[in-house]
Amino acid sequence: MATANQPGDKRFYELLEKLQAVDFVLVELNLYLDTHPTDVNAINQFNQQTEQRWAIAQEFESLYGPLLNFGHSYSGYPWQWNNVPWPWQV
Amino acid sequence: MYSQIRVYYPYISPFDPCPPIRVKTYQVNPQLFIGFQPENLPQFTPMEALRRGVLWPALYSPYSGRGDQEGLEG
Repeated sequence: MATANQPGDKRFYELLEKLQAVDFVLVELNLYLDTHPTDVNAINQFNQQTEQRWAIAQEFESLYGPLLNFGHSYSGYPWQWNNVPWPWQV
Repeated sequence: MYSQIRVYYPYISPFDPCPPIRVKTYQVNPQLFIGFQPENLPQFTPMEALRRGVLWPALYSPYSGRGDQEGLEG
């Protein structure tokens, strides 16, 4: 278990913060698009952010294990879902 | 741009047992004056938006504590 990236290191928090920021933009755009369904620029931005979110989540999960359970993320070996830190320990 | 914090001066009863609060403030939020949000408004960067709690500067409402306590801010 001598991996370079341990949960809780600097990169861990960088990626989580980036993910949080992109997620927030997505929430805002989602709500905005509910009332502005024909704003092409916003839809393009929404799709770009979605792609970026996916890339960040992908990188995070490859380093630190799944973000979601019940089949929405992959796990490495051994099983990573119940690794620390728990969400309230982050 | 108008101030988002507005002020009124309540009536002070001569029989008020408590020390009077002569100046009271309330907040008016920017969305009240926008009506339907226009398209292509300028945006904060994602990090900045996360800190401020809103993506569009036009809808940002600052909060610096209760304005009726010390030195009023606009």
